[in-house]
Amino acid sequence: MFEIKNLVFRYKKKGNDILKGVNLKLKPGEIGILLGENGAGKTTLFKNILGIEKPVSGEILFDEKEMSKLKEVERAKYIGYVPQNIRYGALSVYDTIMTGRISCFGYRVSENDHKKVCEVIKKMRLEKLAAKNVNELSGGERQKIAIARAMAAEPEMLIFDEPTGNLDIANEQLILKEAKKLAKELNITILTSLHDLNQATFLGDRLFFLKEGKIIYDVKKDEITPDMIKETFNIKVRIIDIDGEKLIIGGENEK
Amino acid sequence: MYENIYKQNRNRNITVITFVVLAVIFLAIVSLFTGSSNMTVKDVTDTLIFKGDAINGRIIWNIRIPRIMAAIVAGAGLSLSGLIMQTVLNNPMASPSTLGVSNAAVFGANLSIIAFAGGFLNVGNNLSNYQTSANPYATSLVAFAFCVFSIFLILGLCRIRAFLPGIVVLAGIAIGSIWTAATTVLQFFATDVGISAAVIWNFGDLGRATYKVDLIMSLVVVIAIIVFSFLSWKYNAVLSGDQVAKSVGINVNRLRFLSMLLASLLTAVCVSFLGIIGFIGIIAPHITKKIFGQDHRITIPVSALTGSLILLLSDTFSRTLGNGSALPVGAITSLLGAPFFLFIIFSKRRDY
Repeated sequence: MFEIKNLVFRYKKKGNDILKGVNLKLKPGEIGILLGENGAGKTTLFKNILGIEKPVSGEILFDEKEMSKLKEVERAKYIGYVPQNIRYGALSVYDTIMTGRISCFGYRVSENDHKKVCEVIKKMRLEKLAAKNVNELSGGERQKIAIARAMAAEPEMLIFDEPTGNLDIANEQLILKEAKKLAKELNITILTSLHDLNQATFLGDRLFFLKEGKIIYDVKKDEITPDMIKETFNIKVRIIDIDGEKLIIGGENEK
Repeated sequence: MYENIYKQNRNRNITVITFVVLAVIFLAIVSLFTGSSNMTVKDVTDTLIFKGDAINGRIIWNIRIPRIMAAIVAGAGLSLSGLIMQTVLNNPMASPSTLGVSNAAVFGANLSIIAFAGGFLNVGNNLSNYQTSANPYATSLVAFAFCVFSIFLILGLCRIRAFLPGIVVLAGIAIGSIWTAATTVLQFFATDVGISAAVIWNFGDLGRATYKVDLIMSLVVVIAIIVFSFLSWKYNAVLSGDQVAKSVGINVNRLRFLSMLLASLLTAVCVSFLGIIGFIGIIAPHITKKIFGQDHRITIPVSALTGSLILLLSDTFSRTLGNGSALPVGAITSLLGAPFFLFIIFSKRRDY
């Protein structure tokens, strides 16, 4: 169980609060989507969860364990991270995925680490790419490698920051399906931000609407209403139900 | 088949390293036989088996061999220092002098030479006395002391504020320019003899190396190679940026601090003894990365060896071209290295 309790954060000591008491909960295998405008605090929330920034107050708990007090090495065993802007050194795909296991091996790679990396490669069907240089791959493939790297230490949770932001539609589908598979088959908890509301209802189990540092709605995916979207993004939309799937269309700025 | 990738890579790495080691040894032997004293091949071989005459013996044992060793060790040290700085600062232009280390060394050496006549003793305005003053290592010691002071100043400042790559680079530029300015002021007040001795010191010269110097430098270089190799995987992860590195479990600030400290000390030792030898720290790591990618398990040993190779080659040229006296090797590294470097940068090899 992943839980955030009353998280408050500001960048400067006397600055404004960016996160003003965020609460959220995710069960194992559940996918949570953070929705909100640019600057609502999504990335800041991720940075707090990943220990890149230290919260001012509040708790980030994984199975009752306080994450913000752990060292990087220990936190990495719980939470894997797929960044928004992916940058790689000129390494092979295999070695890039191996860097995800540093928290497990520290300095020298063991046989077991090779075994685990091979498992991840197999699980994500990257066999053909394994020997290639990561920088020779396409955008979607690079994104997949980033997921594989985050998976390499066998974390219980994954954080995705805008996973489909720079991808074309085919790769978008590929990554979303991959994420869904990981959650459902391996029981991995996923927290991700997404801009596309239709992708959000396709992928997510729970939707968190973040506005000005607060979660204003915390709902199951089929409870989404045009009013929630209006309050969060200040746009008018219609939601159409097609065979149980929600389709969100429109988007006119409120004058 | 992908299960065997790492074994294939390991074999490839061993082959590459062996090959470069052999190249360094080959060049060292060639270098031993070349120089401005017109010794024949037989003279050299005779001397090596202790059959030659005394003068040849001194040339080989006291000049050429310590010099060749210095080229191998300092080349490796400077190159390694550059590689690690480029990685942890995430900046391809980072070099051993990024923290202003060379500038601090120049100031320290100039201070020692101009204000204390090279050995803490006033020996009068006679150029030859600058070399034979009380302690031959005094200038190097003062240079080293200023390097260390400069390194701790910058790293300390960055630790207070933020240990971000951009800040470290800018702080290095700022502190470096303070040393340069101070050096200019110092030289303004110097005598003609003092200034020429100081300028000559600034030219990197492997001829200053003695066995003692070689030993000290090799100790530091060997320690650095071991520590850096140990951290190879962490450097590999840092290539993906600070956030990813932190998320896979690396204390990035600590890694950056430690690496900068060790890399700067490595440079400090080399430049304090030998003077300024520019460009090796940029050129050797980049050639290596261009050819072999960025896996630090291979770039650390190969960059070091490439550095040795380039400095050894430059020094051999400088001894051959100098017509009696060796040209400053620092100038040769840039003169020969820069065009080759440009060729490598613009050639279509693997992208990195």
